[in-house]
Amino acid sequence: MEPDASIETSSMIRVAVLPIAGIPPLLFRDYAAMLLRHHTVSLNSISSFYTEHQKSPFANQPWESGSLRFKFILGGSPPSPWEDFQSNRKILAVIGICHCPSSPDLRSVANQFAAACKSYSSSLVQRCFAFCPGDSQLEEESNKGSNLVLFPPADRQTQEFHLQTMVQDIAASLLMEFEKWVLQAESGGTIFKTPLDSQASLSSEEVIKAKKRRLGRAQKTIGDYCLLAGSPVDANAHYSTALELTRLTADFFWYAGAMEGSVCALLVDHMGQKDPVLEDEVKYRYNSVILHYRKSFIQDNAQRVSPLSFELEATLKLARFLCRRELAKEVVELLTAAADGATSLIDASDKLVVYVEIARLFGALGYHRKAAFFSRQVAQLYLQQDNKLAATSAMQVLAMTTKAYRVQSRASSEPASDAGQSYADGGKMHHHSIVSLFESQWSTLQMVVLREILLSAVRAGDPLAAWSAAARLLRSYYPLITPAGQNGLASALANAAERLPLGTRCGDPALPFVRLHSFPLHSSQIDIVKRNPAREDWWVGSAPSGPFIYTPFSKGEPTHNNKQELTWVVGEPVQVLVELANPCGFEVMVESIYLSVQSRNLDAFPVSVSLPPNSSKVITLSGIPTKDGPVSIPGCIVHCFGVITEHFFKDVDNLLIGATQGLVLSDPFRSCGAAKLKNAHVPNISVVPPLPLLVSHIVGGDGSVMLYEGEIRDVWISLANAGTVPVQEAHISLSGKNQDCVVSVASDTLKSALPLKPGAEVTICVTLKAWQLGVMDADAAASKGVPGTSGKQVKDGSSPMLLIHYAGPTTNPGKLQMGSVPAPGRRLVIPLNICVLQGLSFVKARLLSMEIPAHIGETYTKLVKSRSDGTAQENGSERSDRFMKIDPYRGSWGLRFLELELSNPTDVVFETSVSVEIENPINKESLSDRTCAEFGDPKTRIDRDYTARVLIPLEHFKLPVLDGSFLTKGSQMDGITGGRSSSFSEKNIKAELNASIKNLISRIKVRWQSGRNSSGELDIKDAIQAALQASVMDVLLPDPLTFGFRLAKSSSNNSANLNPPKQADMQVYCASGGSIIAHDMTPMEVLVRNNTRETIKINLSVTCKDVAGENCIEGDKATVLWEGVLTGIIMEIPPLQEIRHIFSLYFLIPGEYTMSAAAVIDDANEVLRARARTNSSDEPIFCRGPPFHVRVNGTA
Amino acid sequence: MASTACFMIVSKNDIPIYEAEVGSVPKKEDAAHQHQFILHAALDIVQDMAWTTSAMFLKAIDRFNDLVVSVYVTAGHTRLMLLHDSRNDDGIKSFFQEVHELYIKTLLNPLYLPGSRITSSHFDTKVRALARKYL
Repeated sequence: MEPDASIETSSMIRVAVLPIAGIPPLLFRDYAAMLLRHHTVSLNSISSFYTEHQKSPFANQPWESGSLRFKFILGGSPPSPWEDFQSNRKILAVIGICHCPSSPDLRSVANQFAAACKSYSSSLVQRCFAFCPGDSQLEEESNKGSNLVLFPPADRQTQEFHLQTMVQDIAASLLMEFEKWVLQAESGGTIFKTPLDSQASLSSEEVIKAKKRRLGRAQKTIGDYCLLAGSPVDANAHYSTALELTRLTADFFWYAGAMEGSVCALLVDHMGQKDPVLEDEVKYRYNSVILHYRKSFIQDNAQRVSPLSFELEATLKLARFLCRRELAKEVVELLTAAADGATSLIDASDKLVVYVEIARLFGALGYHRKAAFFSRQVAQLYLQQDNKLAATSAMQVLAMTTKAYRVQSRASSEPASDAGQSYADGGKMHHHSIVSLFESQWSTLQMVVLREILLSAVRAGDPLAAWSAAARLLRSYYPLITPAGQNGLASALANAAERLPLGTRCGDPALPFVRLHSFPLHSSQIDIVKRNPAREDWWVGSAPSGPFIYTPFSKGEPTHNNKQELTWVVGEPVQVLVELANPCGFEVMVESIYLSVQSRNLDAFPVSVSLPPNSSKVITLSGIPTKDGPVSIPGCIVHCFGVITEHFFKDVDNLLIGATQGLVLSDPFRSCGAAKLKNAHVPNISVVPPLPLLVSHIVGGDGSVMLYEGEIRDVWISLANAGTVPVQEAHISLSGKNQDCVVSVASDTLKSALPLKPGAEVTICVTLKAWQLGVMDADAAASKGVPGTSGKQVKDGSSPMLLIHYAGPTTNPGKLQMGSVPAPGRRLVIPLNICVLQGLSFVKARLLSMEIPAHIGETYTKLVKSRSDGTAQENGSERSDRFMKIDPYRGSWGLRFLELELSNPTDVVFETSVSVEIENPINKESLSDRTCAEFGDPKTRIDRDYTARVLIPLEHFKLPVLDGSFLTKGSQMDGITGGRSSSFSEKNIKAELNASIKNLISRIKVRWQSGRNSSGELDIKDAIQAALQASVMDVLLPDPLTFGFRLAKSSSNNSANLNPPKQADMQVYCASGGSIIAHDMTPMEVLVRNNTRETIKINLSVTCKDVAGENCIEGDKATVLWEGVLTGIIMEIPPLQEIRHIFSLYFLIPGEYTMSAAAVIDDANEVLRARARTNSSDEPIFCRGPPFHVRVNGTA
Repeated sequence: MASTACFMIVSKNDIPIYEAEVGSVPKKEDAAHQHQFILHAALDIVQDMAWTTSAMFLKAIDRFNDLVVSVYVTAGHTRLMLLHDSRNDDGIKSFFQEVHELYIKTLLNPLYLPGSRITSSHFDTKVRALARKYL
């Protein structure tokens, strides 16, 4: 049985090509390759070397079209026992190849060649080709007689030409030898024997039989030689004779042989033609060949030798001849028959050859699975032989089957891996294409094949192949392998790795499974912002901003949006998160894992991980970009089990998709309990040249700033340029919640520090004012028990952020083209971590009023003060009675206080101080100083968990005139007031009123201090406004009438005192004391002032009460005598004027009395009614003045 | 009942979706592999044979040693393949037809993804019962 047999094999002359005298194998292969090209030599070309010594037996030699064909057998082969039967099995020529420089002694070369030729007894021609001889060797004469042919050193073309000539010479010599042989055979009595014939000493019967058969066999052999000599017509003639003769002698074996020869002759004759008739003829004849080979089976020597191999060979020859897609069915039948026959072959190597041939033919037919099946049979036959070479062969054969079984090593299937590329781009994939990824996954078979490869590789001593097979087996089929088996594979990996040199790479990844987890975005500290060169504020619009997920305006560039883009900066470390999974039952030690970067512009840092059994882990892989340009990260390089492999993310992604479709056995990540991950697609990553990098820290610690509500504090933020490029421009803005708590940012400081060189640092000041906690916040803080200690506030995102957009130089000095994209800028986000603690809390505000009756003296004390207010001297003199300022128009010591109730729920002590700024536009500074001095001193200390009240005096707020316009509510008022108060429009006055309320409120400040460095202000404006709202008219507006009492010195000078007394007068009166003595007529006067702009008619009455509150004027026990009218004093007061009514009292009993004046206003207008808050227009308006104090001394 | 038989269902993507050793001979691991190898190789023959006839039952289309491969191709090109050593065409045909019906019932399951493995134990039991009945 011979491999590669075909019908035409019978017409090929076998030539052994032998290496002679230690020629280097590489050179031998090179020269042999040159020789192999001349496998066909046309008869035409050899005619010049051919000399006809006698009449050629090949009468019909086609000198024009025919050719001799050679089959070069490198290294030669042992003689076959079937040489007589098929002459083409004989080695008919020997060619030695020697390289002269490596063997200088040509004589010994010739000897060695001669020795080598001895084993080829059948050879008719011997030549030894010596290449590259030296000059001395060329001149040497000793080689003349031998078969040594020297090829003088020349270029390749010349050498090839030379070689061709030599081959033609050999062909001519062979042809002449054949002629000689045929002539001899026709005449001589050569006996042709095959191993089929009995080997025992020939009995007489046998001899007779052999003699009978000799002729037929000789004819067949002559036919063979004719065929070898390239003369099919002659061959056919001889074969026909042989067929006749062998049929007659029932020599079926030779009959079949002759038939085979005749088919070959037929084919050679019809060289290149393939018509169906010829095909049918060949098929018919070959079927008969097969039949006759089968017939020649002789039972008695079946143990030793059988013609079965010839039968199979003939079958295979026919199959090879027919091997075409259209005839697949016939070929399959033939091959199946051959496979059946192979089981009964005795010789293992014959079986091997049959299977190899079957596999090759199936492969040629396009039946790859069949081919793989028989290849595996071959491998199993190899594995049955227990030697290293056979194991190597088995391994190689199995490696060929891996494609059909879809377990090929990645190293051998490079183009296939590109098919999956589209997936990574599209992100989505059709179901069909996913399925196609897993097509023909016969896991059982794949495991068997891989296991056999592993076994053969271990036997063959190929650690890399073993490692690769074990890795494929473990990675793809771990769910089907028992834990013990998994451990075995792990140790196989370890054993293989031990025998591999350090740093060996393998195309097939083993464990762990690696998938891309995510690309962490830049931290807010080093965010990169695309620069918009057209705008001054270049950062606007570059980052997606706004609350909308979908914006109709940004619809323009769909291709741009669907893939996230990532920008990395040269020299700045980057991170990628990957997830590793080890679904097997042993611990996987990953010695190092790092990102594999095809674009070679990233220095990746290796990490070493240990994965316990059945576990997964997310790890961070980092690297530093080294050069600008795009980066692609297809996977990771993993050094595990002693070998370096590349793990592609795409493979695992495909695997996971397959798992979801139920096409793969198991999802390695899910079986390890890893969370389901959305498909993380790889963004477009580009590396940009170095950018400046601002690093910020808050001076005094980066922790959150703890502030009590309303606290004001300065925070210093230091900014340093940690990059290698100066910061050329920077802009500070605010974002986030509670932006108004940032009172001021010293952006000028930053601006003035530009350009900020690498390494330079600048400190800017930010003034913060803590905001008020909402109700919810306060509740949350309270429920936490320890208010404010946890940083919850920060997490809520209620803190504002400082955004600093900064950038380096606009263009690189290298490239100044207009089209170039400017280097991006960056954004630094400094979260101002403000933790607002609940501070003093405001409980309620109340307006309190209080009246202290004034002594009736000889002067109207308040009038004086009010007229002269604003002078420093006057104020100074009033210091003693600080709060008890006298209302100028009420004539009494009326006081109003705003009472604020504050509680301190915190655990620190607060001190509060209240200040009311007195309005003085002229010398504000001195005033404010004074205010501080005046109101700053009495600090109210509020201990923890206590509540305190703070009183704020309200004074100096009265308006001088009660004007109708303040109270206008409808249009009917206009008629009354419009004409008189022509100077103010309604609205103006209203606004003025509001403004004055606001003004009042804004002047009240409650400052607090706690500890050494916390201070702030309570925000109580709203509370005060709410408290004042009810009584704003009382506070701000004067009463329509004010009353005052005074002792009249005498009736004589009373009349002169219509005008308010001068300052000098007051001094006099005050000094005189103005005491009242009982039993003395006391002249008094009551002063009524009209504070409106209209004349008011009133009915005035004065009452006097004693200490007990009884009426002193009327009744039985009246203690006061009266003179003049004390009730029903009708008077009319012009607008903004005062009227004095003089009366006298005569006190009977000394003691304390209270005097008060009251008036009923007649014909009150709307303004007054509104002020008095009357319900109906009929109701009389009663105006009562404040009480005045009278002390009556006794006479004694 | 056949002494050796291996039944497999191969999806149209050439992925085995069901496999069962239904022979009466106690199965050996190696033999089972060998059976699958033979069936896998027979797919090459099936792919040509399926288009030459309108019948679903392709009869014995391939053999290796004494084992014969019979194939039944459904309209959706799912192949029911049986490796056996006895020649009982009628029984095999009935077996295939009944299994085909079972397979269609499996396909009707809305939770079954066509082309994925058939893991239903009910299906397995039924197939083995049919194998006992017909083979």
